Amino acid sequence: MDFTTALIVAYFALLALTLRKRWGVIEGPWLFFFRAFFPNWKFYHGINPAPRLYVRGQTEAGTWSDWRLIYPRLPRKGWHLVHNPAVNLALAHQNLVDHLANDINDLPDGADIRERVTYQLVSRLAQQAVAGACWGDHPMIAQAPVRQLSAFQFEVRMVLPEGQRNELMLQSPVIRAWN
Amino acid sequence: MELTLAVRIFEVLLGWSLLLQTLEYLRVPSLDRLTLWPSLRQEIPPRPAWIKASLDTLFQPGAYTALLALRLVLAMALMLGQLNWIGALLLFLMALLLLLRWRGAFNGGSDFMTLVGITGLLLAHLVGAMTDVAWGWRAGFWYISLQTVSSYFVSGWVKLLRPEWRSGQAMTHFLDTGVYGPLPQNSVFRHPQFACVCSWAFTVWEGCFPLALLDARLALLFCAVAALFHFLVFWFFGLNRFFWAWLSTFPAVVYCAGNTW
Repeated sequence: MDFTTALIVAYFALLALTLRKRWGVIEGPWLFFFRAFFPNWKFYHGINPAPRLYVRGQTEAGTWSDWRLIYPRLPRKGWHLVHNPAVNLALAHQNLVDHLANDINDLPDGADIRERVTYQLVSRLAQQAVAGACWGDHPMIAQAPVRQLSAFQFEVRMVLPEGQRNELMLQSPVIRAWN
Repeated sequence: MELTLAVRIFEVLLGWSLLLQTLEYLRVPSLDRLTLWPSLRQEIPPRPAWIKASLDTLFQPGAYTALLALRLVLAMALMLGQLNWIGALLLFLMALLLLLRWRGAFNGGSDFMTLVGITGLLLAHLVGAMTDVAWGWRAGFWYISLQTVSSYFVSGWVKLLRPEWRSGQAMTHFLDTGVYGPLPQNSVFRHPQFACVCSWAFTVWEGCFPLALLDARLALLFCAVAALFHFLVFWFFGLNRFFWAWLSTFPAVVYCAGNTW
């Protein structure tokens, strides 16, 4: 075995040993922005409760719609392989929901989730979605938008597949719609 | 694979990947009324103050578009083999700016792998300037290769440690939640045995990826399967950037597989 091969074997053996170990989370505002320098390469590694965003809207007449799911579902096109901004944007918006769920979990005692940027962005996402905004040319929610929206409310629910569990994680107050 | 050929293919693929990403970044502001800088800037730490002030200037709509236009030009220069160390440094700095603009990532893992490619490119130029060009590219390629191979290795083994992946259940679940989903009711991926076989096939392939470094022909085979894998990831999850970001690293893997340090 030559030296290069020995080094490679040693590296991957070490990597394998670390896979089962739970490392402490190193946190910091700059580390959050530059986490790309420390990728953990764990994609879709297990079925866990996933946060989903629901919204309902109130018309100026005072009627509330039912709760509607905001989740990226767009039609596939072949050319998306080279140009796919709407889908990537939709996925970035869903990431905001994931980050809000993390922020809720990590919220220190006495802190107000409404002060978090993720909350503010998700709140705006909910309003835009229920009012009929689109990802590209595809509506963010499957149902018809609420016309003459006067107020809205959103929920973050933790959902497991096939109805095993569906827990309410956050319910916003009723928020006045604004332009 | 010859070093010069590997470098050329790497430059073309990384440049192409950056070009496509930049065109998407240029399109996003007209689609997005949500993740706007005045909101996002609240998360930037207040100290040192000059950073936030500089970012406020750079992320004004006009300046941001100019930044992306420069990135487009640099990507094309890279494809044409005309990018020097200053261009590599600029691409690296722009990658950092984009991380700050998009709360650490616009498109998750693809941003991470793109950063790996750009860092490898910068490493190649810097080490090349200090030693010689060939040594520089060897250093850059080994950095990229180890990150690429690690990405498959880690991704594969963490799945094999989970019962829902070993049973195939996780594959059906995640395909169902994909952006182009849900799966049709009669999809073959809903058959538990088929999903189980597919799960084992691709997680074992991922976990065994370090074997690619033993031989260039083996590396070509692993990379060809990887290209198909990333295409399927695009097909079900819409992750087109992952396809190009990982593809751009394959010349480094194939080169390193055929050469000792």
